[in-house]
Parts: sequence; C-alpha cells; structure tokens
Amino acid sequence: MVVEIIKKCSSIKKEIRNFFDSRGFLEVETPLLSPHLIPESSIENFKTDLISPYKGNSPLFLTPSPEIWMKQLLARGSGDIYQICKSFRNSEQISAIHNPEFTMLEWYKTGITSDANIKICEDLIDSISLSETPQKCRPPFRVMTMEEAFRELGGFSLEENLDSESLLGLLSDHNIPGSSNDSWEVLFHKLFLTLIEPELPTEKPLVLKNYPSRLSTLAADVTGTPWSDRWELYINGIEIANCYTEETDLKKMQNYYQNETSIKAAEAVIPVVSSEKWLAGMAGFPSCSGSAIGVDRLLAALLGMKGIQGVILFPLDDILL
Amino acid sequence: MGQIKAGAIAKGTFLLEKDTPFIVVEREFVNPGKGSAFARLKLKNLRTGAVLKVTHKTQDAVEEIDVEDVSSQFLYSDGESYHFMNTVTFEQYEIPMVSMEDMQYFLKEGESYKVVRWGNESLDIKLPPKIDFLVTEAEDGVKGDTVQGATKYVKVETGLTVKVPIFIKEGETIRVNVETKEYQERINN
Repeated sequence: MVVEIIKKCSSIKKEIRNFFDSRGFLEVETPLLSPHLIPESSIENFKTDLISPYKGNSPLFLTPSPEIWMKQLLARGSGDIYQICKSFRNSEQISAIHNPEFTMLEWYKTGITSDANIKICEDLIDSISLSETPQKCRPPFRVMTMEEAFRELGGFSLEENLDSESLLGLLSDHNIPGSSNDSWEVLFHKLFLTLIEPELPTEKPLVLKNYPSRLSTLAADVTGTPWSDRWELYINGIEIANCYTEETDLKKMQNYYQNETSIKAAEAVIPVVSSEKWLAGMAGFPSCSGSAIGVDRLLAALLGMKGIQGVILFPLDDILL
Repeated sequence: MGQIKAGAIAKGTFLLEKDTPFIVVEREFVNPGKGSAFARLKLKNLRTGAVLKVTHKTQDAVEEIDVEDVSSQFLYSDGESYHFMNTVTFEQYEIPMVSMEDMQYFLKEGESYKVVRWGNESLDIKLPPKIDFLVTEAEDGVKGDTVQGATKYVKVETGLTVKVPIFIKEGETIRVNVETKEYQERINN
C-alpha cells in the first residue's frame, strides 16, 4: 500500500464530484442491497438474506451496478444525476483488471444521445488527468464504429456477416473454434475478442461505437440500422466505460426484461428475483444517455499503472482466507 | 485425456484443438461490457511452432492432454531436432526444434531436463527455473569504475547474451533466470 497513491485516488474522486457538481448533476446514493435486479444474463450476482425475526427472511442481492435504482429516480423526474458507489459481480476471474467488488461511476444526462456523452466523458477525463498520466490515456478520444473496426482490423465487413452462419464461416476462416451450438452472442464475441479487440489502437483512448443490436441491452437502436446506440471506451486496450442512449420504449424494456429473465432462469447459478414493479416504475423514464465507468481501472490508467492492484487497497485475492 | 473448463486453463496447460497438441502461452480473461465471460488464449502448436489465437466461453469444456514428465539427458541437436535419452530406460527421444524458440540457449549437452511426453510423442522440454552457465566471453570491467549497478554484457557457453554486473569475468559461472534471461548471482566454483 502506498500512501501517495491513496492520496491521489482520493483527490481524483473529489475532482470527479467537482466536475459533475459544476455541471448541475445531482449526486445520489441508491441501495447496494436490493430485493430484485435487472436480469442481466451475462452477470452472476451476490445473494444474501435479510433476517427479520418478525416478518421472515427476504432474499437480497448486491447490485452489479447502480442502474436499477438510478433509472427509477430518473423516471420520477430527478433530472441529471451521478453516483460513485461500490458494485459487485460474482463468478468473474479475479485478475489485474477484475475484482468482485469494485467502484463504479455512473451518470445520466437527460435530453442527449450517447454521442453527446462522448464529449462529457472526454471533458471529465481531461479535467482529472494528472501530470503523470501517460499521453495515450489522455483525450482527445479516437472514435471508431464497430463496422470500421472489423473492416480495418479484420479485413471484412461485420454488417455483411451478421447472421450466425456467416459468423461461423468467419471463425472457421480464421481457425477459431466455434460451434453451431454457440448462441449468436457467443459467436460474435469469439470473433470480436479473438480478432478485433486485441488489435484495437492504443495510442489514444478509443471510443468504439454502434454495437450490433442483436447484443441484447437496454440501449436504443440506431434507427434503420442493425446497430444499437451504444459505445464503450478503451484506454490502453482495457475497457473502461460503457454508454447507451437509453431505451425509453416501455414495451421494448419489457421484452428485454422477459428475455433476460428466461435466460437467467436457465443458466444462472444465482437466479435473481425479477419484479414487474420495476417496469411499472419506469413509466415516465425520460430520453437520456447513461454512462458507467470502472473507477479502479480509470484510476490505474490515470496513474500510469498496469492494473488495479494498488488502486484497490485490499483486493479480494489478498484478503480471502 | 480429460476435459477442462476454459476458465480453469492456466499458462502452460497442454490442450488438444483439432486433434493437434498445443501449449497455452498466454491466457487472459475477458468480460465484455455485455456478454458472457471468456478466456482468450494464445496457443503454440507443439508440432509446428505456429501460434493459434482462440477464445472460449469460460464454461466451455476443452480437451486437456495428459502428459508425463520424463527425466532425460540432452544429447545433441542436429539442426532439425533436439535429441534426448530417458535416464531410466535409455530410450531416445527426438523433439523438432521448430517449436522451441530460444531453447538452444538453455540446453547443455549431458545435462538432465524433463521431456514432456504424450503417448509416443515428445511435445516439450521443461527447463529448471534457474540454470548455471560458464561465461565464455566477457570484456574486462573499466578500471576504477566503482559506480554501483554498472553493468555489461557477457556471452555464456550456449551463446546466450546476459546482462551482468561489471565484476563478472570470463571463466566464471553465473546463475541465470530462465524465464527472464536475467543474471541472478555469481557461483563460486
């Protein structure tokens, strides 16, 4: 543990708050223990129980992101909000860039799309960079679409190969094992993670935008295209942020919710309790863009460190009995 | 032969992909912003040395090869293959050099190593973490140079170039870390 690093991390977190406060965002604190979650099929959760001697016990989940309650605040008219909080993800490998408990910064700005949020993210990172922050971790960002990334780095069009059969063919062409039993999402990720992501340019922070809308998320579609209005930020080849133009159509949200709930019920080790009440509370959800940043990874990048060891003071790996 | 979950694969694991033996040379876990957890692997084909990049869901089962480490003496290389002899059965093994980058710098004739065997095939050579080498070429340190940490390069008996402290002389023995190829210490004969 290096006190100098703790001081710098603390000061950067203050600067993050200053940044959002000065832009009229309201800081909020939402529950980390929740009786239900948005069923994200790719995330395993931590489950615990509320023990009540009077009313019986209730299952509770540690939130994998503050999204669930921040969105309810937006639906109730909170306006622009941000939060820095702990988030929890189970069943992930503990490594130089993963810890089951981590710090997340999430903000929502109403009336904008994800494109406008690129500028906010750029301004944020510019304003909190330190003298030792490597040049390759500083704005301006480079912006690239998924289609451009596949054309430039893979030598083929993603848009022309979006069906499972074509993806399988491309995997086979590149000697990457894939099977017709793999879901579309798995085939896409095998191709993207093997061929494209390791080759993404790292000389500047990179915004990769317009993900295939077949990847099921709560991001809105880019009308008339096979893409969703979503981007991720990579700094030094590591994914730091995820941003959506948020879906506001309640029917589409409901479809997402039901679809993910059924996948979760079939595949998850920890099945989550889903609640129609959450959807009911989403009536009035405004058009907005939400962005989430892994703060530990961001701090590591700003401090010129390779991983989150040192930024996270007691990584789980070190304190597990 | 057994199955291993991709999430449990470590660097150095021996795998079978498309009926070909591979060793895992790099392993990284990736959790895309939206999607399952994946293990991204860089594999080396143990027959050709060619590198194959693959990505598996961490839950996917992959074929792991059951290998055996056999103590063997290094006999010689003929430019194509390394030749070893099992120190117990005296059986001779041949391993193509093509998949063994830099191995020639660590093999000393007559020394014992572990040969990794899979059935009747020799796949790999396991080196000890540290090996002692005779320094065969070294320039003298500059007289009067007492600056701490001053270094120079020397050549050892296998042709490997090692960065060493300035006091190391030709004819001395040094211990080298095999993975990093870094000087560890001087060995007094």
